[in-house]
Amino acid sequence: MLKFVVRRVLWTIPIILLVIFMTFWMMRAIKGSPFRKSERAVPPAVLANLNRKFGLNKPWYVQYKRYVVDVAKADLGPSLVLRNQSVNDIVKEHFPVSAELGGLAMLLSMLVGIPLGIISALRVNTITDYTAQFFSNLGFAIPSFFTATLLIYFFAAKWRFFPTNGWDTAGSKVLPVIALSLFPLTYFVRLVRGQMLETLQQDYVRTAKAKGLRWRRIVVVHVLRNSLIPALTAAGPILGGLVTGSFIIENIFAIPGIGRYYVTSVQGRDYSTVMGITVLLSVLIIVANMFVDIMYGILDPRTREARS
Amino acid sequence: MRKTLARPPALAAVLCLALVAAGCGGGGSSSGTTTGTSGAAASGGTLSVAIGSEPPSLDPGLATDTTSAYVVENINTPMIYLGPSPDLKPEPGLAASWDVKGPAVTLHLRNDVKWTDGTPVTANDVVWSWLRTISPQLGADYAYQFYGIKGAQEYNACKPSAANQQCDTLKNKVAITAPDKSTVKIELTSAQPWFMQQLSHTSFVPVNKASVDKWGEKWTEPGHIVTDGPFNLTQWKHDASLTLVKNPDWYDASRVKLDKVDLKIITEGATAEQAFAAGDVDVNDTGWPPADTARLKSQDTYHQFPSLGIYYYGFNVKNITDVNQRKAMALAIDRTAITQHITQKGEVPATAVSPEGIPGAKTIDQDKFLSTTADLTEAQKYMAKVPNPVKDITLVFNNAPGHKEIAIAIQSNWKKLGLNVTLKQQDWPQFLQFLGPPPNPSVSVFRNGWIADFPDDINFLSVFECKSGNNSTNWCNPKFDDLLKQATATPDTAKRYELYRQAEALLTGPNGDMPIAPIYWYTFTDQQAPNVHGYTANPMYTTDLTKVSIG
Repeated sequence: MLKFVVRRVLWTIPIILLVIFMTFWMMRAIKGSPFRKSERAVPPAVLANLNRKFGLNKPWYVQYKRYVVDVAKADLGPSLVLRNQSVNDIVKEHFPVSAELGGLAMLLSMLVGIPLGIISALRVNTITDYTAQFFSNLGFAIPSFFTATLLIYFFAAKWRFFPTNGWDTAGSKVLPVIALSLFPLTYFVRLVRGQMLETLQQDYVRTAKAKGLRWRRIVVVHVLRNSLIPALTAAGPILGGLVTGSFIIENIFAIPGIGRYYVTSVQGRDYSTVMGITVLLSVLIIVANMFVDIMYGILDPRTREARS
Repeated sequence: MRKTLARPPALAAVLCLALVAAGCGGGGSSSGTTTGTSGAAASGGTLSVAIGSEPPSLDPGLATDTTSAYVVENINTPMIYLGPSPDLKPEPGLAASWDVKGPAVTLHLRNDVKWTDGTPVTANDVVWSWLRTISPQLGADYAYQFYGIKGAQEYNACKPSAANQQCDTLKNKVAITAPDKSTVKIELTSAQPWFMQQLSHTSFVPVNKASVDKWGEKWTEPGHIVTDGPFNLTQWKHDASLTLVKNPDWYDASRVKLDKVDLKIITEGATAEQAFAAGDVDVNDTGWPPADTARLKSQDTYHQFPSLGIYYYGFNVKNITDVNQRKAMALAIDRTAITQHITQKGEVPATAVSPEGIPGAKTIDQDKFLSTTADLTEAQKYMAKVPNPVKDITLVFNNAPGHKEIAIAIQSNWKKLGLNVTLKQQDWPQFLQFLGPPPNPSVSVFRNGWIADFPDDINFLSVFECKSGNNSTNWCNPKFDDLLKQATATPDTAKRYELYRQAEALLTGPNGDMPIAPIYWYTFTDQQAPNVHGYTANPMYTTDLTKVSIG
C-alpha cells in the first residue's frame, strides 16, 4: 500500500511539469496580450517596460525554466493584471473560499443524496421512489445558474430569508451551497439507487436472505458496502470539480472564490495566474484521484492487489 | 424623474472595457440635469454601492480602469477637480491655484492637505510621485499621460540597468521641479491648453513615499495605505468588498456628509439588480442584463447621464478605398433605430466623432453630413458613384453583449446597398490584436469606441492621427495631423475649436474622407434608491462621494 502511494505521489511530478508546459504554450498560442487591456493602445516604450518588468522579453525557455524553478519554491509569480497582487496572494485569499463552498456542497450532496438513493432502491416502484426520482431528474436537468437565480429571486429578493449575495455570514452561505450541491446530489441519488438495485439482485444477497439473515443486516453489511464503491469513485472528481468549477455559482452570488479566476485570467491573458491556478487544479485532481484509489483499495482489497 | 449621472456596467469597467460592453453607452445629452434633488441632504449614514469588479490597482500610478479610479479619486485629493458640465473647467484640488504661460505651468499647492500619517503633502511628494510613474521601472500603463511634459517620454523609454547611467541622466532632465514646499513647476513640450484639465486624471494623484518605500507593491493594502483624501480605505476584502470611512482630518471634511461607503463587488448584472431590489445596496453601479433595460428604465430608480464617449465603426480604407462607398455605408446606418431599439439607454445617435458634450461641440460639429436616421436615397446616390464597389464586407467586433445585435442591424442596413456583410466575432484580446494598427488585411469594417481621459476634443480627434496607435483605419491625412499640431499650441479656445472643426470636417464633414462611421455617443446608467442624493458622475465617470448624502 505504501509503495503504491509513494509511486502515485512521484508520478505527479512529471504530470505537473507537463501541465505547466502545455499551459505555457497554449497561453502563448492564443492571440492577445496581457498588457493591452482596453481600446487604448499601449505606446511601444510602455510595452517594453512592462515586458521587461515581468520577464516576458526573455526567450521562452528562460521564462519556462524560471517559472518551473519558482513553482518548485512555491512561488507562482506576480499577477500581470492585478498589479498589487501575486498569484500566491490570489490563491491564498480565494482558494479557501472555494474549498469551503465546494466542501459544503459536497457534504450536503452526499448526506442527502446517498440516503435518498438507498431509500429509493429499497422502496423501488413506490411513491417514495417516484418522488425521489422525479426530483433527482429535475435537479439533474436544470442548470445551476437557473436554480441559483430562482433561489435568489424567491428566498433573498422576495422573502428576504437570506442575503442576495456575499460570503460572510452563515446565512449568506445557504443559497449558494444548495445551488451548487443540487447537481451532484441528484447524481448521487441516481448512482446509489442504480447500484443498490443491481446489488440486491446478486446471488450472495439471495443466499443471505435464504440463510435467514435479518434484512437490516443484509442491507448494511452486504448491499451497502458494495453499492457505495461507484459513489466513492465518483466523489473524487466531483469534489475537484466543485472546488474549482464553481465559477458560475461564485459569479452569481458574488462569492470571492478562485473559480472566477479560471475564466477572467484567460480572458485577460494573465499568463502567470492562468498557470498558477492550472497547476493548483491539477494538483487537486491528482490528490482527489489518489484519495479515491486508496479508499477503493480499502473497500475492495482486490483492486489493491491487482494494482500492486 | 430626476436624472443623474451614473457609471457604466463595471464588469466592463474593470479592464477599461467600458467600450466593450454594449450597455456602456455614453454620450451626451447636455440637456440632462446632472446633480442634486430637492431632498434634504442629511449628514452621516452609510452608503452601499454595487461595483462591477475588483479594482485591479489602487496605486494612482498603475490604475487604468474606471473602478480603480472611482476609489483612488475618493481616497485621495486629486490635483484639480473638474467643474460642472458642459465646460468642465479645472477647479482647485490639491493645487489651490496655477499660472499657465504657454508651455510653462506653475502649480501652487494647498498647505493644509495632510497624509493620513499626519505629515503634510508637499510639492516634493508630487514631483517624486510623477517621476515614479514615468520611470521605466514601475511599468505604468498610463506613463504616457505624462508624455506632454518635457523629457518624460525620453525617460520612460530608457532601458534601466546597473551599468546604464543613462536613465538617471534622463530622469534629471524631466521638467518637473519643486522650487519650494508648495510650488510645482512644469515645462510642457508645447502649450497644450488642456493640461490643467488633464491634471484631473488619476495618474497625477500623488502617492505617499514613506508608505511605498516601506511596503513595496503591497502599499495599497488597508493598514499600509497612506492617502490624503476625503475618505480612508479601512477594509479591502479582495473580490468581495471595500470600505471607505470619512477622513475627519481632510482639509474640507465639513462638506463630506457620508460617514462610510461600502463598495460591494458584484460582477453579475442580474445579481446586482436583485441586490438592489432587495435593498442590499443603495446604488447599483454594476448594471443589469441588457434585456432588463426596457423594464428598469421606467422606474424612478433608473438614472442616466451623458458621457464623453463614442461608439463607432471604422473602415479599413485600404480595403474600402473609395470615399463614396464609405459615405454611402455611413449614410445607410439607422442610428436612431439602434439607440431606441437595441441599446435603449438614452444614447445619442452620433453624426460626428466629437461628442455632443465636449466643450466647443457646437462649433466643432457644425459641418454635418450624416443624419441620425438612415438616408438610403442619398446613400444609394453615393454608391452609384463607386466604379468598383467592394461587395463582400467582413465586419469584425468583440464578443461582449450587445455588439452582435448592432452588427446585425447594420448588416441589414448595408444589404440595401447590395453589400454582403460577413460578421466576425472575437474575444477582446484577440480582437485588439486583430485591429493592430495596422489592422489584419481581412478586416473591412470594425467596431470600436473611445472614452475621454480629459474633456478636450484633442482626446477624440488625435485617435485618427497618422501615427496614432489607436487608428486602425489605415487612414492618414497630413492636413488633419497638421491641424491638430496647430491646436496643441493654440491656447485661445475659440481658435482651437475652429481648428478642431476643420479636423472634424476632414473626418465626417460633407467633403470629409469618412474613415469611420460614428454610431452613437455613450450614456451611463445606474440604479439609485430614492434616499440617495447627489450621486452623480461627470462625463469621465468620476463620482465625487463628498457630494453624496443618504437619508
